[in-house]
Amino acid sequence: MSAVVVDKVTKVFNQGRPDEVVALSEVDLTVADGEFVSLIGPSGCGKSTLLRLIADLIAPTAGTVTVAGKSAGTARKQQEYGIAFQQAGLFEWRTVLRNVELPLELRGMSRARRRARAEEMLALVGLADFAGHYPAQLSGGMQQRVAIARALAVQPPLLLMDEPFGALDEMTRERLQTELLAICAKTGTSTVFVTHSISEAVFLSQRVVVMSARPGRITASIGVALPSRDDAGRQSPAYFDKITEVRRALRGTPVTSPAETR
Amino acid sequence: MRWVRAVLAPVLVGVAAVAAWELTVSLGRIAPFILPAPSAILDQFVEQRANIWQAALASGGNALIGLIGGALAGVLAALAASRFGPLSEVSIPFAAVLNALPIIALAPILNNMFESTSSIPRRLVAGIIVFFPVFLNTLRGLREVNPIHSELMHTYAASGWTFARKVRLPGALPYVFTGLRQASSLAVIAAVVAEYFGGLQTGLGSRITSAAAFTAYPRAWAFVVGACLLGLVFYLTTLLLERLAMPWRSRLIG
Repeated sequence: MSAVVVDKVTKVFNQGRPDEVVALSEVDLTVADGEFVSLIGPSGCGKSTLLRLIADLIAPTAGTVTVAGKSAGTARKQQEYGIAFQQAGLFEWRTVLRNVELPLELRGMSRARRRARAEEMLALVGLADFAGHYPAQLSGGMQQRVAIARALAVQPPLLLMDEPFGALDEMTRERLQTELLAICAKTGTSTVFVTHSISEAVFLSQRVVVMSARPGRITASIGVALPSRDDAGRQSPAYFDKITEVRRALRGTPVTSPAETR
Repeated sequence: MRWVRAVLAPVLVGVAAVAAWELTVSLGRIAPFILPAPSAILDQFVEQRANIWQAALASGGNALIGLIGGALAGVLAALAASRFGPLSEVSIPFAAVLNALPIIALAPILNNMFESTSSIPRRLVAGIIVFFPVFLNTLRGLREVNPIHSELMHTYAASGWTFARKVRLPGALPYVFTGLRQASSLAVIAAVVAEYFGGLQTGLGSRITSAAAFTAYPRAWAFVVGACLLGLVFYLTTLLLERLAMPWRSRLIG
């Protein structure tokens, strides 16, 4: 069974109005179980829209989205995925531990069990010592790690991430990338990761899906096999070859004007 | 050192102002019925301290009941208004009309509605005055929800009520307390001034009017000082509650 199946999905915003926008046009995407897929493309190519469709935060105009064999709506209600955004979006009145507990709390898990689970998740992202802190006491990178711990708390089969490291400095970003890969490998989670960093997409993903704008559609799907996903991997020729390949795929799409022919 | 400076400066200014006042009155030979000297007021304050204490308890009780009632009503009304969209559009002009009402001027009318020994009209006046700032501030806070928070709660399949309880309300707490801070002093002013229009003669307001009627101006001023202190107590207590209710704000340096 595939983690995500997006079948001929079209999304039109403000349909029938003068400011109508075709955000996605007949998009097909399949994410296999345990696969790490990145969505990359210029601003306005609909990559975030696609992620939000999978999350059932918005509904498709046409086509179907299936998550873990269920409709996207059912999957959301059963918390089949965890999600993290560019802003950590922590609840500032809750301690770090209670932030991670929140999705479990809403699932009706007992106090003792959710506490144990949240502590386990915080240990996973290396923040066990900060359980009692409030979000405002943490740095941006630490907050983002809490957000990831929270997304993983329900141990979902699928992780959706919308530029989660976009607001972080380069060093923190690289460290979190390595941590994220380790976590995904450990938990066997499938991941859909939206980014506009080519190097980030290549380093993290088994597959990089390249999108273009107006209307948003998928123009290339590039498999990435690196010898290793660590600092050595970041310096391997395969890594640089794939970066070039993704960059070419991005350039090959009509970004500025649809009149340019492919 | 910084703390000392922050406290020292206002204290010095205050002492200088009181000294200037005293000198103006004694050297300028200002008649005591126009402006009594601070020393005369202090004498009266000490002499009347038991009466002031009793009167402050009476007025403070009314103000407290009005404050709690008005604040509860304000928060509940804001919760209802934020839950049901059309209600908030109706309620804001309604609240604005309520706020524009000269509530204090209502006191004599309210007095006639109840027995002359009743404290209810004063509590009502205080409650109505408290309602508006609490309602408006809370409503603003309840509406200003971080969009990421609402999306997250959506992905958790949280119901509207759960969302209100776990996200909207705690997120609105800073706004609630902004409203409460304004309301706390207003409640005291309302409770004291409402006593100017007859009824029970136990509170600070009635003491001020009766002292003034007997041309005992230093005594009237002593009760005014008592009202001022009462207002300060209300305000500082609200500040303290605010710190206790929102530990995440005061624990920023950790």
